[in-house]
Amino acid sequence: MTTSAAAPSDVEKATSGAEDAPRTTGHGWLSQHVGTAIVGGFLGYILGHWLGNYIGSAYPYIANSGQNSLAVLLALLFMVAGWLLGIGALNYPLLKIVGREAKPEVEHVGWSKYFRYNLDHKVVGIQYVVGVLMFFFTGGLLAMAIRTELLSPTVHVFSADTYIKIVSEHGTIMMMMASSIVVGPLGNYFVPLMIGARRMAYPRIEAFSLWTFVAGYFVIFSALFFGGFPTGWTGYAPLQTQAGPGMISYLFGFAVISVGMIAAGFNLAATIINYRAPGMTWSRVPIFVWSIIATAALLTLASPVLLAAGLFGLLDKTAQTAFYVTEHGGSSYLWENLFWFFGHPEVYIMALPGFGIVGEILPVFTRKPLFAFRIAAAGMIGVALLSFFVWQHHLFQSGINPDMRPLFMLTTELISIPTGFIFLVGMGTMYKAKIRYEVPMLFCMAVYFNFLIGGISGVFLSDVPVNVTVHGGFFVLSHFHYTIMGGLIFAFFAGLYFWLPKMTGRTMNKKLGLWHFWTMFVFFNLTFFPMFIIGLLGQPRRVFTYARDLQTLNDFSSIAAFCLGASFLIFVANLMWSQFIAPQKSPANPWDSLGLEWQTATPIPPYNFERIPVIMTDPYHYSEVGAPALVDSGDGPPVHASSFVASSTDPDQ
Amino acid sequence: MTDMIKSSQKMSDTPEEREFELRAHIGAIWSGGRLFIGIYTFLLAALAFSYFYLRSSNNGLLWRPDHVTAPTAYGWTIYTLVLLAALMAIFGQARLRKGSVSEWQVAVWVGVAASLLALFLQVWEFTAVPFYPGSSGYASTFIGYSVINILTIFIVLYWLETTVARSLRMNKEIGGVAPQLSMHPSAQSFRANVASMTYFLGFVALASTLLFAMFYLL
Amino acid sequence: MSLESPKNYGENDFRHIVTIWIVLSVVLDVLYWFLVGPHVPPGRMTSTAKDNQLDFNVLFVIALPVLIGVWEWLAFAGLRWNSKRKDAPESVGGPSAAGKRSAEWSWIVITSVVVLFLAGFGTVELYAGNGSGGGEGPNPIQQPAGAVRAETAAIQGTGSWSPNSNEVLPVQVIAQQWKFTYRYPTFGGFESPFLILPNDTQIAFNVTSLDVIHSFWAYQLEVKADANPLENNVAFTKTEQLGSFEVRCSELCGIWHGAMFNSGKVVSQSAFMNWATSTETKNAQNTKDLPPFAWTYVPDANGAAGGYYPDGNVTPYSTVEIYGSKQPS
Repeated sequence: MTTSAAAPSDVEKATSGAEDAPRTTGHGWLSQHVGTAIVGGFLGYILGHWLGNYIGSAYPYIANSGQNSLAVLLALLFMVAGWLLGIGALNYPLLKIVGREAKPEVEHVGWSKYFRYNLDHKVVGIQYVVGVLMFFFTGGLLAMAIRTELLSPTVHVFSADTYIKIVSEHGTIMMMMASSIVVGPLGNYFVPLMIGARRMAYPRIEAFSLWTFVAGYFVIFSALFFGGFPTGWTGYAPLQTQAGPGMISYLFGFAVISVGMIAAGFNLAATIINYRAPGMTWSRVPIFVWSIIATAALLTLASPVLLAAGLFGLLDKTAQTAFYVTEHGGSSYLWENLFWFFGHPEVYIMALPGFGIVGEILPVFTRKPLFAFRIAAAGMIGVALLSFFVWQHHLFQSGINPDMRPLFMLTTELISIPTGFIFLVGMGTMYKAKIRYEVPMLFCMAVYFNFLIGGISGVFLSDVPVNVTVHGGFFVLSHFHYTIMGGLIFAFFAGLYFWLPKMTGRTMNKKLGLWHFWTMFVFFNLTFFPMFIIGLLGQPRRVFTYARDLQTLNDFSSIAAFCLGASFLIFVANLMWSQFIAPQKSPANPWDSLGLEWQTATPIPPYNFERIPVIMTDPYHYSEVGAPALVDSGDGPPVHASSFVASSTDPDQ
Repeated sequence: MTDMIKSSQKMSDTPEEREFELRAHIGAIWSGGRLFIGIYTFLLAALAFSYFYLRSSNNGLLWRPDHVTAPTAYGWTIYTLVLLAALMAIFGQARLRKGSVSEWQVAVWVGVAASLLALFLQVWEFTAVPFYPGSSGYASTFIGYSVINILTIFIVLYWLETTVARSLRMNKEIGGVAPQLSMHPSAQSFRANVASMTYFLGFVALASTLLFAMFYLL
Repeated sequence: MSLESPKNYGENDFRHIVTIWIVLSVVLDVLYWFLVGPHVPPGRMTSTAKDNQLDFNVLFVIALPVLIGVWEWLAFAGLRWNSKRKDAPESVGGPSAAGKRSAEWSWIVITSVVVLFLAGFGTVELYAGNGSGGGEGPNPIQQPAGAVRAETAAIQGTGSWSPNSNEVLPVQVIAQQWKFTYRYPTFGGFESPFLILPNDTQIAFNVTSLDVIHSFWAYQLEVKADANPLENNVAFTKTEQLGSFEVRCSELCGIWHGAMFNSGKVVSQSAFMNWATSTETKNAQNTKDLPPFAWTYVPDANGAAGGYYPDGNVTPYSTVEIYGSKQPS
C-alpha cells in the first residue's frame, strides 16, 4: 500500500486520465443551481400529477372518489426527483451507470456556490444554516398563529379546521427542523475541523442530505395547498386514514426528511470513525463530536423505521392496503409503535447535539477543563442506547399490554441517569471558575436552566400514575418545548454566536446579542411555564377552545409568546447588521478557544488544513500550568495551550 | 467516489498524507458498507415487526383468510434470482482475490442479469397480486414487502452494475484492478468497494431468505 | 461572605452552597407539602385522584431540591464565579479540575438510587391504585376485586348493581367524532349523553371508539384512557366525593377535537339508582334500536365509521359478522 500511495506519478496519471470525464457542476447561469432545481421540481410535479391521474383513471374506485391520492403522491415524488435532478444531485449516480467518473470538483468562488450542489462541508454547513432557519421561522410564524387563536376561548380568529392545520404544520415543520438544526449546520461545518480532517467521507451524500432536507420543506409545506392535514405531527391512524390528500404531504414529507437524516448521519458517522487525524484518539475527540456520533447512530438506525412507517401509510392511502386499518386486519397500534420507535430516539436526536455544544463551549468561557469528560461521553452513548427502549411511554394510556407499563416506566426513568451526567459535567466545569459571560455562555447557562425544568417534568411524565393527569395535556406540551426549544434551540444559538465568527469571519454584535438572549430567555420561560399549570388544570393539547377560567393564563402565555417571537427579530437584525450591512471583522480566535477548529486559517482553506495535523492532546487544557502541546500542524512550532493563558484573563479580549 | 480520493491525493504533499487519505477512504468504504447494512436492517425490521404484530393481533380474524394465497411461483423465481446474484458476487470476489478479473466480471454480469430479471418480475408481481391489497393484514404487509423488495433489488442491481462498469473503465485507465496488477489507489478503492458490495449482498441473501420464508412459506 | 479576603475567596463556596441548599430545600419542601400539595389538581374526588395527587407530591418533593440545587449552582456561577468581579480568583486547570472521582461516583450513585426509588414507587402505586385510572387495554392486570365478575356479567347481560351492593359498576364510554356517550350494561345497556356515577363505588370504564382514536379524560375523576376503534380499553377508579366533573378528549381526533367535551356528575347511590332505572325505562325503545351491548362495535357493511370496501361490493371481506363478539338479532 505504502509503495504505490507514495508514488506521485501514479496519482498524476490517475488525475490526468480523468480529464476527459464530464463535469458534474460548472460555472455560469446555464449550469445547475437552485433555479434549475426549481424548474426541475416544477416539471416533475406536473409529470407526476399527470401520471397519477393516468394510472388512477384505470381504477374505478379512484375515479369515482373524486380524490386521487396517487396523483398527489406521484406529483410530490417526481417533484423531489426533479428537484434533485435539477440541482445536480443525480449527475454522479447516473454517470456511474455508464462507468464514468466525475471530474474533480471545480471550486466555485463568491456567492454562487451557496446556490449549488456543493461538496465542501463548509459550504453545506452555511447552506444548512439558511435551511434550518427557513424551517424555524416558518414554524415560528405558525406558533404565533396558534397563540393568537388561544387568546380567547370564545372569539375565534381561525376556523376549527384552519386551526388544526396550523397546529399540525407547526408541529411537523418544527420536528423536521429540530432533527437537523445542529447536526446539519454545525455538525457538517465543524466535525471535520474538530477531528483534523480535510474532508467528509461522503461529500456527495452530505450534499444530498441537505438538498433532500430542503425538498422536505417544500413537500410538507405543500400540505397547505392540499387542504392541510388534521393529525398533528404524530399522524395517528385512523385519523390519518380518514384525512384528505394533505396527509400525503405529511407522510411523504417525513419519508423525504428521513432519507435526508439517514444520509446526514451516515456521512458523519463514517467521517468521524475514519477521518480522525493522527493522534485523535477516542479520548481526545471533542465532546461535540461525541454527541454528533451518538446522534448519527440514532439518525441512521431510527430514521429507517420512520421511512417504513411512512411507506406503509402511503400504501394505505394509495394502494388501499390496510396496515393501519383495524377493521381490515391492520392495526392502529402498529402506527403508534412504529412511529414512536422512531419518535423517541428522535427526541434524543434533538437533545444530544445540544449537550455537545454546551460541553464544547463551557470550558472556553470558564477557562477550565471539561469536568469528567469520560462520563460526559459515556452519558451520550448511554442515552443513545437507552433511547431505543423507551418508546412505549408515549402509549401508557393507549390500552397497550399493561405488563409493559412498569417496564417502560423503569427504562424511561433510567435514561435520566445518563442525562444527569450532562449536569454533573456542567456544574463541575463551572465550579469556582472565573467565568466570562459572553453571549454564547449565557445561552449555555440558559440550556441548563431550561433543560432542568424540561428533564424533571419528564420524570413526572414517565411515572404512570402521574402520567394519567398530564398525558395529552398542556403539561406535556410545555415539557417538550422546555427540552427541545429550551435545550436544543438555546444550544443552537449558543453555537451560532460562538462559531459564526469562524464560519463567516465576522463577529456578531454583542449588545444586540445580549438583547436577543435576555428577551428570548425571559419570554421563553414566561410563555411555557404557565403551560405547566394550564395543563395541570385540565387543558388538552391541540384545542381551539378551552375552559373559561383558563383564559388569563392562556392570554399571559400568548402575550409572552408574541414577545418571544419578537426576540427573534432582534436576532435577525443582528445577523443582517453584523454579517452583511456593517460587517465587523472578527479576530482569528475571538474566544481564545483551544478547539482545533479555531487553529485553522481564516477564511478556512478548501482543504481545511495545509498539512494533516497531528493531535497531541484533548482540547480542554485551559489554565493548566505546563499543559502539553495541542497539535502539530506541520508548519511552525506546535500550538500550545499556555499561549492562551495570558490573554484568557482579560474578559474583554 | 474515486474522483474524491484522487483530488485528496493530489493535494497531499507527502507520502504519509497520501497514505492517510487512502486509508481513511478505504476505511470509510468499509464502515459505510456496514452502516448501510445497519440502516437496511432497521428498515426490514420495521417490516418484520409489522408482519408479526398484525399476525399476532389478528384483528377481526383478518390476518390471513383462506383465499389469500401468495403467488409462490413468482416468489420462488425472484428469490432464486436474488440468491443467484448474491452467490455470483461472493464467488466472483473469491476469484478476484485470486486475480481473475475477467471471471469476476462474468460473475457480476450474471448477477446484473439475474437482478434485472428479478426486478422486472417483482414489479410485475406487484401489479398483479392475486388478492385485494386491503383484504387482510397479510395482504397489506405483502404489498409493503413487495415495494421494499423492489427497492432492495434495485440497490443490488445498481451496485453490481456500477461496480462492473467501473472495472471496465479502470481496465482502460490503469490496466486492471487485480491485486497483483495494481496497487494504485483507485484500484485499492475499487477492491474495497467490491468487498463492501459483496458483504452487503451476503446480507441481502440472508434477509431475502428470512423474508421469503415469512411471506411465501409460513 | 464579604468578610473574606480576596486570597481565600471562594474557599467556602461549596460549604455555603450545601448549607443554603439544605435550608432552602427543607423549608420549601415542607411549605409545598402542607400548603400546595393538598390542592394539586385534579383534587381528591376519587381514589385515583387522591393516589395520583400523592404521587405527584412525592415526585415534586424529590424534584424540588434538585431544581434548587442546580439553580443555586447557576446563581453562584453568575454572582460569584464571574470574571466581572475583580476579586474573583483565576480559574485553575489541570488534572485536579478535570474530574474528581468521589464527586463523579457520588453523583452516579445518588441519581441511580433516586431514579430506582421512583421507578419502584411508581410501580407500587400503579398496582396499589388499580392501574391509577389509566387505560389498561382489554385485559387489565391491575384491578379491584370483583372487577372480573362484574365485567363478565355485564357482557353476558346478567350484571346487576344496587346501592350498598359493593359491586363494581361497569360503564361503557363510546367516543366518536366528536362526542362521548355512555352505556350502562347493568341497566339493560341504555345509552346516555351524560355520565352519571354513584358515589363510593368502584367504576370500571370500558372505553372504545367508533371511528378514530380519542382519549377519554374525566378530569376530576383522574381517569384517562385512549378510545381505540375495535378495542376495549379498561380503566378503574372509585368515586369518593359528590360533585360534577368535566370530560374532555385528550387525543387529537380531527377538526372539532377542541369542542369534544361534556360533563358528568357523581351522585349518591340511591339517586343514581333512581336515575338509572327511570332512564332505562324511558329509553327502552331507543335501546332496542341500538346495537346489542358489546365491548366494541365494528362498522357495518355500508362502511360506516371509517370502514371502506373500495371494490364497490357491500360484502365485507371479513367472515366475521358485524358487531364484534355478539351477533345482531
